[in-house]
Amino acid sequence: MIGLIKKDLAMIKGNFKFLAIFIILYFILGLMGKMDISFILPFMSVIIMISTFSYDNYNKWDAYVITLPNGRKNSVKSKYVATILLVLILTIVTVLLSFIIAYCRYHILDYEEILSLTTGSIFGTLLVLSFMYPIIYKFGVEKARIVICSLVFGIVILGSLIIKYIDLTGIIKILNLMQNYWIIVILLFAILLVYASYRLSLKIYLKKEF
Amino acid sequence: MTNALEIKNVNKKYSDFELRNVKFTLPKGMIMGLIGSNGAGKTTIIKSILNIINYTGNIKIFDLDIKEKEDEIKEEIGVVLDDMFFPEILTPNDIDNSMKYIFKNWDSKLFNSYLTKFSLNINNPIKTFSKGMRKKLEIATALSHHPKLLILDEPTSGLDPVVRSEILDIFRDFIQNDECSILFSTHITTDLEKIADYITFINDGQIVFTKTCDELLNQYGIVKCMEKEFQKIDKKDYLKYQKNKYDYEILIENKKDFKKKYSIEVIDKITLDDLMVLMIKGEK
Amino acid sequence: MEIIISNSNGIPIYEQIKNQLKNKILNNELKEGELLPSIRSLARDLKCSVITTKNAYEELEKEGFVITVPAKGIYVATINKDLVKERQLTKIEELLKEVLILAKTCDIKQKDIIEILEILSKEDIND
Repeated sequence: MIGLIKKDLAMIKGNFKFLAIFIILYFILGLMGKMDISFILPFMSVIIMISTFSYDNYNKWDAYVITLPNGRKNSVKSKYVATILLVLILTIVTVLLSFIIAYCRYHILDYEEILSLTTGSIFGTLLVLSFMYPIIYKFGVEKARIVICSLVFGIVILGSLIIKYIDLTGIIKILNLMQNYWIIVILLFAILLVYASYRLSLKIYLKKEF
Repeated sequence: MTNALEIKNVNKKYSDFELRNVKFTLPKGMIMGLIGSNGAGKTTIIKSILNIINYTGNIKIFDLDIKEKEDEIKEEIGVVLDDMFFPEILTPNDIDNSMKYIFKNWDSKLFNSYLTKFSLNINNPIKTFSKGMRKKLEIATALSHHPKLLILDEPTSGLDPVVRSEILDIFRDFIQNDECSILFSTHITTDLEKIADYITFINDGQIVFTKTCDELLNQYGIVKCMEKEFQKIDKKDYLKYQKNKYDYEILIENKKDFKKKYSIEVIDKITLDDLMVLMIKGEK
Repeated sequence: MEIIISNSNGIPIYEQIKNQLKNKILNNELKEGELLPSIRSLARDLKCSVITTKNAYEELEKEGFVITVPAKGIYVATINKDLVKERQLTKIEELLKEVLILAKTCDIKQKDIIEILEILSKEDIND
């Protein structure tokens, strides 16, 4: 599996430059207090990893990877592990930057806010990943793009409807009651979701022909 | 272990094509060439062996069932597929770095020596390589974990004669170890005539025969004669015939026996190309 | 050791290998007990298939020119050269008999046959 992760990382190493520029941009924007885009970095790791699916597909890598020892299983596993690795690294970068930004601007460190923002962005990213990967394995990257676009659109509309018409104070109360434990609950839920998604992707990929 | 590869009753159905009861055996230490026209099923057989596609039937490699011991077996197989398969943005160095962790027996030194031999730059992305260079890289990769069986789909297609002869030499070195065997499909049958021990001929999804290359080249022949003479030949004494504008070409299984029975002057030595053409296009 | 293989003279390659090795053994170019190249290395160096060299060696072994020592290699056998010569002579005799019979059927003189033989052997030398 490590070998396949290395291969994926080698494929996306060209993107790291853009990522660095992005991080700097994020930092500057953050310092200026223009906007909060803390979710963007972890989310980008998913976008970048999805490009590896495109490369694989274009170069007919899948047929070959199956000929390697434990190829099918390792292929799926490595995609998930590499993505999560990238998400974690970029999350840590985001957290560090957020602390620096907060310190420079307000000279105080609001742990709680940064922590909840980070949890939110990790959760969102893992949610997208969990939905996206099985769809990619089932339909291929090209079709998956369309599916995911409609999915995001749907979530946004649904979200705004919920906020508009449904009283969320109850849920917020519950979350408040749980204090900071909600972070753990939400992360556990995300991990469970990712695992379920992995099992599903594996099931699809084990049967696939190339 | 006596057989490198044993295929029994393999069936695979597509909407427009079908493999039917494919059966052949590659003894250990031998080279087998898989020949047949485009779309005859060569790639489908190779993909079945490698479990890239689902099939019904029984495939054993090194006497082990491929479906039971897939990972164990795949450690010992080197593969080159028909289509390119390395992502173009990778470099040979990236491949080396990955394969190190994929194969237990990966030999970076050997891989590098092949790259040097093929004059491939280790740090150049594959997209800068020509078709021939890509094939060479694929072959180098297939060989660098000391496999016991090479399964190669068209490994020499698109390569010039000099490179092809280099690659055949590498295959010859590879089977110096009598544990090592090769199965490869190709359209370049002259390569097979120089190296293959066995020829398996597939047509329209079915195996026509598996025979030793020597038997085919030494015993088979093409009789060329006129209609008058052709009429006299017993139907069971030839495999196929083709009527041309000026003569008849008749594929026979045994030149010696034929000479004893008939007094026809022109009996030519056969090439695998002739054999394929007559078997596919000839009449009975 | 030199072996020359022709792809166009119509003689099967295993037979060419067999005949040339046999010649070398009879000429003492390959000596009794000498280790011969392995089946695989000979195939590599002559650029032919393993089965071809295997066939050649198998036939040589059948005819008593080489022996295979398991796990060691193939060696030139101890042969009785007179016996081989004798065998060849009887074979030649048989073939000549056939020639004579053929000659008789169409009334060709013995003198003509000897003449043909002389011409043929001269051609052979020039070759």
